[in-house]
Amino acid sequence: MNWRKVRIFVLTVLALSLIPATRYYQIDVPLLKILQGSRHVDPLSLHLAGEFVENNLGTEQDADGSVTVRMIAEQYFFVPHCVLVPAGVPVHLRITSADAVHSLTFDGTDYAVKVLPGTISEAQLQFARAGDYKMPCREFCGAGHYAMRSELKVVPREQFSALRPEERENCAQ
Amino acid sequence: MRNRRRLPELAIVIAVLIAASLLLLASDNPLDRVPSYVEWNSQTIAAASSGDAFRGMLLAKRCEHCHGAEGFSAAASTPNLAGMDKLSLWKELEDFRSHKRNSRVMQPIVDSLSARDVADVVAYYAKLPVFDDPQDNRAFPQSQPDPTKAAMASRLVSFGDGERGIPPCQACHGPVAYRPGAPSLMTQNSDYLLDQLQAFARRSRANDINLPMRTVAGLLSEDERKALADYYGSGLGLQPGSSR
Repeated sequence: MNWRKVRIFVLTVLALSLIPATRYYQIDVPLLKILQGSRHVDPLSLHLAGEFVENNLGTEQDADGSVTVRMIAEQYFFVPHCVLVPAGVPVHLRITSADAVHSLTFDGTDYAVKVLPGTISEAQLQFARAGDYKMPCREFCGAGHYAMRSELKVVPREQFSALRPEERENCAQ
Repeated sequence: MRNRRRLPELAIVIAVLIAASLLLLASDNPLDRVPSYVEWNSQTIAAASSGDAFRGMLLAKRCEHCHGAEGFSAAASTPNLAGMDKLSLWKELEDFRSHKRNSRVMQPIVDSLSARDVADVVAYYAKLPVFDDPQDNRAFPQSQPDPTKAAMASRLVSFGDGERGIPPCQACHGPVAYRPGAPSLMTQNSDYLLDQLQAFARRSRANDINLPMRTVAGLLSEDERKALADYYGSGLGLQPGSSR
């Protein structure tokens, strides 16, 4: 066995795998994720892949009975526009912005979540009573800011668990 | 000697394995629903705005039959392209190319265009004048909308409806502000606009990145969709506030 040839070959393969386009996605991006923590996200390509693709938005039932809500804030919407969660259950909110700085608030509660492009904002919420809450944006984000308002529907726990998975995702028509 | 002969074979096998694993890692999750492959970074914005308008003019000969010789189409269900914002027209053509937006008429035409052709055609249409001039014989929108409907539309265009969470149209479609990929609607045909609003509401058109148009078209009532289509279709968008 000619170890010199093996070594040259291995080094060539390594060198080829380090050509920029490949290196960026295979090495740089994962490395950046580790260095910056898992809360880093590219605001321009949310719709292409990853946690915030459109079929992953909305409410998801977790194994321990709590729910996770994933949302995007963009000029001038919170997506999905109508969110459905069960009452009296911990709600893990994960939200990121596709453009400007937004602030998600829930009328009638003290909750406020600052949303920045490039990072995932996390919050632990819980709604004791069923009902409808307006979710206005409270950070000036541009010309349509005053109309940036979504809706949260809190339904009794039994009613939520009776829904089919696709009905839980969002309550917009 | 035997080992030396085996070495190239081994090398090829390893190389293929590495290539395959890299490809697998890089491929998309097939379960993801992607509205459009366009991502508004500096490269795509540069690609969309760096076309050659003269070459585009020659290529646009095949668009004339439906979209008009000067970008104003005779049929109200076909979009006007004159003065169309470069980014929005580029995105729509790219979405047709990647089958993210569907049209039986546009598909075979767009399939024959290369990436460079798309940028060139876009550059040409962006240069065409939007405003009426006595020398031309373009079919400008002429109809006068019903005043009560125009008032309803005007309110939505300028202020939206905060109660329902409908932002004003002009915050993304101009003239107040633009969002990359949002077309200017000011000289667009009414039938075409209504078709698109209904398609977004039904979700049969779904190439809006992060769902802004599917959301807003779904929140509007059918009357409001018609009123908005007539408002822009009759050229009222060119004189903001004139109908109030």
